Amino acid sequence: MSNFVPLEMIDRRALIRSLALGLTAMGAMDVEAAQHVHAETGAEKAKNGIYKVKTFTAGEYKTIQQLAVLIVPADSVSGSAVDAGAPEFIDTLASQNGQIADIFHGGLAWLDAEMRKRYRATFVAAKPEQRTQMLDALVEAGRELAERQGEELVYQKSPIYKDFTGYTVRRANELGAGVAFFDWVRKMTVDAFYTSPIGFKDLNYIGNQALAKYTVPKEAMEYVMKRSPFA
Amino acid sequence: MAQNAISQEIFDAVVVGSGAGGGTAVHVLTAKGLRVALLEAGPMLDVGTEFKEHKVPTDYDHRGAEEGGKAYFGKGKPFGFFSTTSGGWELEGEPYTVGEGSQFQWFRSRILGGRTNHYGRMSFRFAEYDFKPYDKDGLGFNWPISYQDISPYYDKAEEFIGVAGTVENVPSCPDGKFHAAPPPKVHEMLVKKACDKLGVICIANRRAVITKNLNGRAACHYCGQCGRGCQSASAYSSAQVQVFPAMKTGRLKVFDLAMVREVLTDENGKATGVLYVDKKTRTEKIIKAKVVILAASACESTRILLNSKSKEFPNGLANGSGLLGRYLMDTVGFGLSGTVPALEGMPHYNTDGYGGAHLFMPWWLWDKHNKLDFPRGYHIEIGGGYSMPGVGSYHGAARRHGYGANMKSKIREGYGNTIGFAGRGEMIPNIHSYCELDPNVVDRWGIPVLKFHFKWTDYEWKQARHMEKTFGEIITAMGGKVAGLSASQRESQGISIPGTIIHEVGGARMGKSAKDSVLNGYCQTHEMKNLFVMDGASFASNPDKNPTLTINALAWRACDYLAEEMKKGNV
Repeated sequence: MSNFVPLEMIDRRALIRSLALGLTAMGAMDVEAAQHVHAETGAEKAKNGIYKVKTFTAGEYKTIQQLAVLIVPADSVSGSAVDAGAPEFIDTLASQNGQIADIFHGGLAWLDAEMRKRYRATFVAAKPEQRTQMLDALVEAGRELAERQGEELVYQKSPIYKDFTGYTVRRANELGAGVAFFDWVRKMTVDAFYTSPIGFKDLNYIGNQALAKYTVPKEAMEYVMKRSPFA
Repeated sequence: MAQNAISQEIFDAVVVGSGAGGGTAVHVLTAKGLRVALLEAGPMLDVGTEFKEHKVPTDYDHRGAEEGGKAYFGKGKPFGFFSTTSGGWELEGEPYTVGEGSQFQWFRSRILGGRTNHYGRMSFRFAEYDFKPYDKDGLGFNWPISYQDISPYYDKAEEFIGVAGTVENVPSCPDGKFHAAPPPKVHEMLVKKACDKLGVICIANRRAVITKNLNGRAACHYCGQCGRGCQSASAYSSAQVQVFPAMKTGRLKVFDLAMVREVLTDENGKATGVLYVDKKTRTEKIIKAKVVILAASACESTRILLNSKSKEFPNGLANGSGLLGRYLMDTVGFGLSGTVPALEGMPHYNTDGYGGAHLFMPWWLWDKHNKLDFPRGYHIEIGGGYSMPGVGSYHGAARRHGYGANMKSKIREGYGNTIGFAGRGEMIPNIHSYCELDPNVVDRWGIPVLKFHFKWTDYEWKQARHMEKTFGEIITAMGGKVAGLSASQRESQGISIPGTIIHEVGGARMGKSAKDSVLNGYCQTHEMKNLFVMDGASFASNPDKNPTLTINALAWRACDYLAEEMKKGNV
């Protein structure tokens, strides 16, 4: 009872860690290869072979994987959102809820259409720098929209038409639909990543244990007090 | 009513509701040898399936976003998938309505143990002055009892349910019979230093968690997940600590999925039992008992009394004063957070602890009200530490930092650097805050539902602004940066929505006479000697102390009185 983390999960963490290393070594990730590695290493979803996509077409799923790895890439500390099962998470929830499925079907179609307009290539087929340019544009547009939240443009009362009391309009952003979609991919990817054993380790979360006695390490206390206004 | 199934047995007492009040009542009364029936509107509690203690998100393919990602659409469980709430702000088929111009949210649990399965376990005694608030500032109402009356029952309640804390001699928050409290965490020590500088009292928290074994319950194992339900019953819940043991006496019979509609009476002006709808069969049934004890929650008990109409009692039972449902109160809530650079890069450690914060700030200005622009006080709760990552934990950070390697390292660096404060303050009961029966709506069991009316006044708004100023000062004193509110945010988030602190009390308040109150100091209705209300409905005021411990103590005292009165033949 000293630790509630089940043993098999620790094994799984080790597996996924090795998997993450493999993916990093591959550099620009080939998602098919990644899928293959998943099956080979026998991580959690490999019980029944390769994860069977329930909701998305192969093309859509590849795009989701590509987005997930861009949103949370592997680094020296931990693996990527693909390693943490983000695409499977999104696919599973979309299979349970048509509203989520539609958000992704529509959003992915919007993304590819916008990519074709900009670069004459789908998101997956585009060059890596084109993909990040697209995402940067969405982030930028998102910030702009957030800043303007609550702002209203009001058309003045008319002196001519006395029944006209004015109306409000919202300024449109041509990337608005993409911003909304990216927010969905990002939040679900981030959720899948940080709720996974890889994400726990990335943050160095070390709770959820049964302890006979609760203590606070002296070194942590001293570290903070030294840096505080009370040093 | 010949067609109703009537229980063969006439119980000594029937208790409606199995939360803090009902749990205490069945424990005390069965220990005295009485035969008791307990009715719960929800199902029996199965600790094995209901409690999600120690689970991690990947134990579920939805990671805690719930089936179909309900949480993403604001339709997930209140307080998250892992909490053991078994109910919520809205129950299917059991609506309530809210009057025009009012806001009110009503949290109901439908399961054995009620809200004690998930509540925060904060266990603060009311102060001496809390029982005589009118004497202090001329507002609200005095209680018919004093601190000296209830103090022995605080002792009993604390010793039985188990409360960890420290003896501090702070007049606003009297000491009790405590288990040892766990040591403060690092961010809390920093808060304490800031409070020392500002003259704010900061002491060990007091929570209904045992830190040494008690009555077969294991000492806390510091997983910090009390809100998910505690499988070892180290955190108090009425189901595990009071109802299950009472069942073992053989003198308690539990009727689950039993939705009480009304209290039955006879021509002699005595309660004879309750009529309930058996949810399993959708049939009406009757339980006969010598004494009826309502403990269904402040508003639900009020509703039952209002619905107990007859020729003799056209406005509901025990409502001769017309005060039933009146002077409903919740706690004033306000929260503010900030980031603290001193915490950046701290060597991580397990901050779970005994659930909730290990320190808190009791009201520290009880004798300085002449310098304040609001009456009454509040206490402060602390949030912070390295909590288990969950669905939604980093949406805000992700939006701030875009995506990619930069976002990932920013989230990593920011983890655990946030500090949060929640104020919990006392409102003044007012005539605009009440519940009544909605004449036009019944629930799926055919029972008329409650309609709520509620207003905060300047007293509460000014108190919330004092909270905001104080929390900002504490964060600043810690060297932190306040996540301040804009003017429009203050308008919408400057004070909690009534009901949402889930400390709704009053509605059948106790008082000295039948003219100005529903109950006497023993939770007994003035009008019917064998009818009691042993939940938060009895509160004459709602001090900043969380109500549960006082509900435990009042119910215990009422049961001692009731047993004595039965012995004497008065009930």
